[in-house]
Amino acid sequence: MWIYDLRTLAFLAVNNAAVQDYGYSREELLASTVGQLHLPADMPALLDAALMPPASLERKEEWRLVKRDGTVVYVEVVRSAVAFAGKSACLTIASDASERKKSEVLYRSLMDAIPSSVLLLDEDLRVVLANKNFLEKSRQTARQIIGKRLAEVFPEVIIAEMGLERQVRNVFRNNQATEGQRLTYRTPGVPIRIYYYSLVPVIWGVRVDHVLLLMDDVTEQMRMSEEIRQMERHLASVVESASDIVLSTDTKGNILTWNKAAQRTSGYSFEEVKGRSFFEYCDEAGVRKFFSPAASRENSGMSECNLKTKDGKRRSVSCVFSQMTNDAGQTAGFVIVGRDLTERRKFELQLQESQKLASLGVMARGIAHEIRTPLTIASSAAQFLTEKDLAPEFRRECAEKVHSGIRKASAIIENLLRFAHPTTNTTKMPVDLPSVVKGALSIVENQAKVQNIEVRRRLPPEPGRVLGVSGLLEQVFMNLFLNAMNAMPNGGTLDVSAERHGGDLLVRVTDTGEGISPEDLDRIFDPFYTKALPGKGTGLGLSICYSIVDQHQGSITVDSQRGKGSTFTVKLPLMSPAEEVKR
Amino acid sequence: MSRLNRVVLVVDDDPDICWVLERLVEGLNARCIRALDCQGALQAARLNRPALVLLDAKLPDMDGLELARQMRRADPGVPIMLISGYFYKDDPAVQSALDQKLICGFVEKPFSHAVILRAIEAALRSQEVAPGAVEPLPAR
Repeated sequence: MWIYDLRTLAFLAVNNAAVQDYGYSREELLASTVGQLHLPADMPALLDAALMPPASLERKEEWRLVKRDGTVVYVEVVRSAVAFAGKSACLTIASDASERKKSEVLYRSLMDAIPSSVLLLDEDLRVVLANKNFLEKSRQTARQIIGKRLAEVFPEVIIAEMGLERQVRNVFRNNQATEGQRLTYRTPGVPIRIYYYSLVPVIWGVRVDHVLLLMDDVTEQMRMSEEIRQMERHLASVVESASDIVLSTDTKGNILTWNKAAQRTSGYSFEEVKGRSFFEYCDEAGVRKFFSPAASRENSGMSECNLKTKDGKRRSVSCVFSQMTNDAGQTAGFVIVGRDLTERRKFELQLQESQKLASLGVMARGIAHEIRTPLTIASSAAQFLTEKDLAPEFRRECAEKVHSGIRKASAIIENLLRFAHPTTNTTKMPVDLPSVVKGALSIVENQAKVQNIEVRRRLPPEPGRVLGVSGLLEQVFMNLFLNAMNAMPNGGTLDVSAERHGGDLLVRVTDTGEGISPEDLDRIFDPFYTKALPGKGTGLGLSICYSIVDQHQGSITVDSQRGKGSTFTVKLPLMSPAEEVKR
Repeated sequence: MSRLNRVVLVVDDDPDICWVLERLVEGLNARCIRALDCQGALQAARLNRPALVLLDAKLPDMDGLELARQMRRADPGVPIMLISGYFYKDDPAVQSALDQKLICGFVEKPFSHAVILRAIEAALRSQEVAPGAVEPLPAR
């Protein structure tokens, strides 16, 4: 407690408590002004207030004072104008309020740090406190809303629609917090915001003193979840409307999703396949390898497989397998995108058939020559037999020639029939590739002969089994042989060899023809690309070879030198010992 | 020239065809020489100066018509008859060879003995009358 001169602000009297509290001696204080106890920043306000004290000690003021050691303390002050020693003076009674102030600051900081909007309401539903978050979101200042009624803070429509006032009154009455409810805050000039709010009673003693209105702004979350929902709906409709099969499985191959195209192709609905193993519908080594844990973790792979359909048939499907990985980079499952190849296969088969017939046309002369030779012998021998007085020895010789000639002609026809027979069964079976090559060679050998082409063959004696369609593979080699022979109109050598190379069998077809120019090399497997004269080739042979070899997971390459000849190499995967055993 | 001295060269890579033609030629009192390829045929023609060559169109080492050309160069007067299953009667290649007088006739395999014998006889006769002047013969 102290008294200061209203004119000079000099201390006129100080009590012991003041001396103890602020660290100055009585003499020091009495030799200075009240400014000694204030922070320089507070001085302008101090001057105004200090010179105009209230008439009585009723009004409480809050001051910041500074001790001699520099410590700042908050004090609650009451002042009153008095006369002291004949001077106009002011009596000041200050009590330490630092602890209370500290709590207040902490409370305020906490309020402002809360990421929710907070309003504290009194029983009259007036705002006692609004935290920073609320003020920022509602674009109002504390001055604008403190002391205002709830109905003045929120737009009328919200108050009415939500029954907010009624709810707050209920909390005052029942002392029970409300669960989170949704509130859409619309007010002119402020973007719509969506809150989840709850009301919490603040109890003082035995009764509810205030109610806290806590509001969480969920506008962003709502927007994002709506966007996610939209995205999900969009993705789902993309997958559902795709004409390709799209399905997903877990890491073990159990089906998680199955789109309409999958349903259309297989006949099985999602409900029927859900949770079942994909292998129940497509159990092939080429498919299983993607799921095996030992498989190299490539991100995707392709395979052709036969999908089991509900009506017990199988449909040829070209599948791309991709791994789904989680955020940790681990495999979470697989996505399989497949295309029904039924129509394409049908078309390809037709094309292959027509090309086969075309190649027969190319060979017609050679075939005719070859058949007519044994027919001539048989015919002549038969004519000799009509002559009279034949020696028994000659008669027997003639009969043998008739027989052997017919047999030879018949064998040639059989070969042709075998080749011309439509390939209807395209189920892949174990096929001995060297035998297929030999079979194809036997058909074209006649043609080679009439073209003065020497055929050299170097085929391994042991079998080399591949999984394939024998008729189609025979067509590949037939085409390659005919192609080679076409390149040698003036004769030459057709060299056919086969050898194992790792897990593959390589078949090389080499001619000593004119070779292929570098610009043609790039297009040689394109459909209808031909350098042959009209009637000599369709330009489909090599593209069909390519397509057939591709269907057998093989490859076909060409190497050529102008004027020296060309080598076509067909590489096909041999069946693994495990596959051999399985078969 | 006595009829038995007449030599007919049969060029065909199939021994059974040679067997047939030999039997037919010998029935005409002519001597038959066989050659299974072009080299053998050229050599036989040089050594034996045949009155007629019966030639297959497709031989392992050369095309029949090409052999005919080479034989003509060596002996322009020798009549050559093409006997083949490779060509057909109105084949442009055959017509062209006839027009060029590269061959004196064409017989399609398989043949009737009557037809081929008539053709061979006619060819041999034309040789006796006017060597070098050959008429194209009917196919059958």
